Amino acid sequence: MQVGLKQTVENVEFLKAVFITIMPDCLLYDAWSRHEQTWSAEDVASYFGDLIRANREALKALDAWSSKMQITIEAADSLLVLTEIEGDFVVGFVFDKTAPLGMVRLYIKRMLEGIRAILPEFAVEERSRSVRIIEFVQRYAPDPHTVMLRVSLQTRIPLEELEDASGLDEEQVEHLEEAVCNILGLDKLNI
Amino acid sequence: MSEEIRQWIPNQDLLFLAKTPVVYHCHHYNLALDQTIEDALGFKRAAEVKRAAAREAATQLLTGFCEFVDAQNPSEILQASKQLMQAMGHGSLDILWDGEAGEAHGEYLHYSYSWKEKYGDRVKCKTPRDQFAAGWAAATAQMISGLPPCSVEAKELECYAMRQPRCRFELSKGEPEAPRPTIGIAESEDVLRSHFGGLYEDEIEKHAAVLKDFTAGVSGDERGLVEAFGVFVTMTPSVYYNRISYDSLMILQEEAPAFVPVLEALLREAGHVCVFNTFGGILASPEWESVAGSAPSSPEEIVWQSMSIARALGFGHWTVQEFERNKRLVMSTPVSYETPYYMTRHGETQEHRHYVFQGAAVALMQLAHRVDFLTNPVFDIPFYAQLFKNNKLKWKHEETRNPLAGDDRLEVVVTLDE
Repeated sequence: MQVGLKQTVENVEFLKAVFITIMPDCLLYDAWSRHEQTWSAEDVASYFGDLIRANREALKALDAWSSKMQITIEAADSLLVLTEIEGDFVVGFVFDKTAPLGMVRLYIKRMLEGIRAILPEFAVEERSRSVRIIEFVQRYAPDPHTVMLRVSLQTRIPLEELEDASGLDEEQVEHLEEAVCNILGLDKLNI
Repeated sequence: MSEEIRQWIPNQDLLFLAKTPVVYHCHHYNLALDQTIEDALGFKRAAEVKRAAAREAATQLLTGFCEFVDAQNPSEILQASKQLMQAMGHGSLDILWDGEAGEAHGEYLHYSYSWKEKYGDRVKCKTPRDQFAAGWAAATAQMISGLPPCSVEAKELECYAMRQPRCRFELSKGEPEAPRPTIGIAESEDVLRSHFGGLYEDEIEKHAAVLKDFTAGVSGDERGLVEAFGVFVTMTPSVYYNRISYDSLMILQEEAPAFVPVLEALLREAGHVCVFNTFGGILASPEWESVAGSAPSSPEEIVWQSMSIARALGFGHWTVQEFERNKRLVMSTPVSYETPYYMTRHGETQEHRHYVFQGAAVALMQLAHRVDFLTNPVFDIPFYAQLFKNNKLKWKHEETRNPLAGDDRLEVVVTLDE
């Protein structure tokens, strides 16, 4: 029987959920959670991907970047650990807050061995920058339901073209980036 | 705001303050519309359009108000201007003007303050937000000096939304703007359609009367803000909203007509966000419970009680002609506050230009079918995003009667988009 994510992680004590994100597109590859949850695994996986990317940039700015970095977040009732695997995947582990940190590190080390074994061996095909920009603004715009209308009006790019953004030309992508920076109040996009 | 200075056109539910058409709106609508104008025209040009509209609206309103309170000399006009702006929920503005140039300083200005409250923790604001206050300051300065209407320019240099301690404006004399036709009581009466009722008429009218009494007593707090029903409320000359909406539309029609439908969708969305948040906030509030006896417990109650709210806010004599759960709403009014402006300034058209009414009708179906008022819902960004991010239940609208095209009423039919 082929071993999947569930078999690899479900017996780990204190573990509540695992998310695997494909980079650099921040798409969900696989997820597992111990109990039924109301969250959207796709959304969580995307945010984890962005978090790793932002962290990478911050460490580079500090001249402290290393490919073996790991992010640990102590939230109100959970302990989150994010780690990169060979640059193509980010794995996010959600533990119960009561889990001892030393145990968590040990569990993660063991789980990563198993997860590496089940991940596919393929070269991840990076999607176009314009597609990733649109996904980014849809994730972070304060009013996501209207954001495509806003982008279209600002850039004068028809909605139909934005729906298949991979076909945008260089100048359109420039306008798109400018509009997204404007909507999100950013000086530049780290995508 | 005393009833002596507030006037209603009987049976039409159009509101006037010092003979200027005004309407109550919330910060959700104000910010959404403001942002839409910028999306259409870019910041610089949108700011010019907004400042000019605000200056014109403030000139008309302040002229009537100063007559009413007998403010004649500069200090009386300054005081009247400051008091009125605060009473209407637009914040506090101090103006220094020497007849040629000047400055204004604002605190708790509605647009920047509510922008920071709504978006400040998620988005960095890069451009000033208070074009309405800028236009107001320009109108005040010009009145102090007895200059021709719309002849002072104002520009916001520092803004609270941009994390500056307060808002600062620069004022200077400029060339007077060519006058446009006034929209007052007489012009509004010229385009009225005959009054009619609809379903639940007695209950709607009774509740509207109570809410009108309530809003008559509403005035800005010590900050000059009106914080009620979970939103920041303003009373604003409807000329301002209408002029920035339709001027943007006309500019886009000229320069990029393919994008007019996109702008129209966003103008409707502003109406949608307004009704959903403001009407929803009112229906969920303890104040409304004291008016209606309890929170609305059925889609029918949500719909007809919303008609009362619309009438009390000065939106028009909104009625329910048909309502069938999960299927259909027919909403109509003799005219809305958008009608007199469009007819006076742009004339008859076959186009459907009542964007607030259209967006509102769709929002009412969302409120009626997706919000349980018995669970004390909180109308905030996460709630709105959760409901509308994936648009699980879509409604479509059709404007079936249009007073701008000569029809006897404005009517919108909302049905399920299957």
